[in-house]
Amino acid sequence: MPTASTLSNNFFRSLWIISEFELIRLFATRRGLLTLLTFAIVWYFMLTGIVMTAADFIQQNASGQMSSMMLNSAGFGQLLAWPIAEFSAYWRLSLYLFPIFSVLFAADQTASDRDRGSLRFLTMRCSRDSIFFGRFVGQMIIQSTLVILTLATTFIVAVYNNPEILMSSIQCLLLISANLFFVLLPFTAMMALLSAAVRSPRQAMILAVLLWTLVSATLTSISQHWPIFEFLTYLIPGVHLENLTELQPSETLSLAYIPVLQTLVILIIGRFVMARGSV
Amino acid sequence: MSLIQCQGLNKKFAEKTVLHELSFDLPSGQPIALVGPNGAGKTTLFSILCGYIRPTSGSVEILGQTPGSSALFGRVSALPQDAQLDPRFSICRQLMLYAQLQGFNRRNAKIEAERVLSLMQLSDVLHQKPAALSHGMRKRVTIAQALIGSPELVLLDEPTAGLDPVNARNIRDLVNEHSDNTTFIISSHNLSELEELCDTVLHLNNGRLQQQVDLTGTQETPNPLSYLTVQMDNCPADAFIRRISDIPGVETVETRQKNHFLISYYLINTSPLDQALLQCIKDSQWDYRQLIKGKTLEEQLFSNA
Repeated sequence: MPTASTLSNNFFRSLWIISEFELIRLFATRRGLLTLLTFAIVWYFMLTGIVMTAADFIQQNASGQMSSMMLNSAGFGQLLAWPIAEFSAYWRLSLYLFPIFSVLFAADQTASDRDRGSLRFLTMRCSRDSIFFGRFVGQMIIQSTLVILTLATTFIVAVYNNPEILMSSIQCLLLISANLFFVLLPFTAMMALLSAAVRSPRQAMILAVLLWTLVSATLTSISQHWPIFEFLTYLIPGVHLENLTELQPSETLSLAYIPVLQTLVILIIGRFVMARGSV
Repeated sequence: MSLIQCQGLNKKFAEKTVLHELSFDLPSGQPIALVGPNGAGKTTLFSILCGYIRPTSGSVEILGQTPGSSALFGRVSALPQDAQLDPRFSICRQLMLYAQLQGFNRRNAKIEAERVLSLMQLSDVLHQKPAALSHGMRKRVTIAQALIGSPELVLLDEPTAGLDPVNARNIRDLVNEHSDNTTFIISSHNLSELEELCDTVLHLNNGRLQQQVDLTGTQETPNPLSYLTVQMDNCPADAFIRRISDIPGVETVETRQKNHFLISYYLINTSPLDQALLQCIKDSQWDYRQLIKGKTLEEQLFSNA
């Protein structure tokens, strides 16, 4: 009879093997590399067309009082709070862009395997928990890698334009990467949950769109009519993004508890769906 | 210890009951057949045994454990019906993944992947992707994955369906060769194949266990009649029935298919009938193709005689 410690070791070993396989899926298969190439091209145009242009604009207007008032009135006042313009632009862009990437990248955590039947090969060898959490961890590693790569390119551009800001750039880089990691957690967890309930990534994405439109609008409407139900809006990943943009850079991590709690709740539900469903 | 114990097993999908109160106890050892018409519940039973789905009610234990429990990882494996490998990865990469999940390190996982593929005579497809293989080859690869780590129990759902005769023969040989250490449970519509491989047959129909047949012939039966099944080579049926019926001890001679006859006889106080039968065939200048002691599996399952 296996002991609790053996079972726990087996669980984490299987979890890591499954996560590692997700990395192979992206970095060592033709389709994965094609996805990466597409992402790199999209990011190149965003970096040169949006981040650098926006950074120039912020830099040129940072000192003018009139410009500050204009940015504030447009809701972009906190762009000036970041010490480096490139990171200001990156922060605002990535807060909304990476969750979309997350939905696209993480939609197929278990759905295709369920449809194809290959999940059956896996469940004869490791627990459904190992598969569910292993895929989630793998997806988080992949997305964190992409965040770090895009931040690295922004860092290079920023330091190339102004070598004196090296230290503050490193601080910005660490702060933004930590924030984005927390932001992406509930989005990836939600896609893990949706993927565990359906048989195709497309279905998972359709459900995600419905969740972030209809369900979100419904919950917001309910909370406006009956403020006692405001807590329900916190079930939707990304609910705190608007608040994040209004904070000083040093305060941004103070809201990290929201995505962490959301992730825990979503993963618990997802684990239940995965365990109860047929494969 | 029993290999599989089922007690009052029921499975419902919405309002449709697919399995009704299945109860059986299977010992480990020689291969076991699971037969029944389409829609009898064979694949549903397989899915429950593999832990893919849960029964609505009743209990199942495999090697003393609940299906899908971690204690069975690496001890039980399966060829699920219609399951496909991931088209994005090479056969080697996928078999290595499965071996690693069963506890092999990376190096030994590759050796194990090569071993199971060589059992299926597919060593040359190691680095190919599933899409590059024919349907039959893909099926053999999925059988290969079920043999990783030499599990104690292997459930094969229609393992030879869609395979050419040579490869179907290879699968049967493989089951025979490994049945000393591994118990195979095989679902198939090919009764002659199951008859050749298996000692025990579970017959499902409409989700109910119709009968559990022991093919070893060791099971005591209250029926004093014994049977011979003979396949003749172009012989006049009427003349055959007439002449064989005259042999002492023969009770009935019935035509089954063309040139197939089932002979029932009393074993007690008679000389062995097979010798008298062969002598009669020789004297009549007929020829026979096959002589089977007892009834065929098909006869046992689907005839009330």
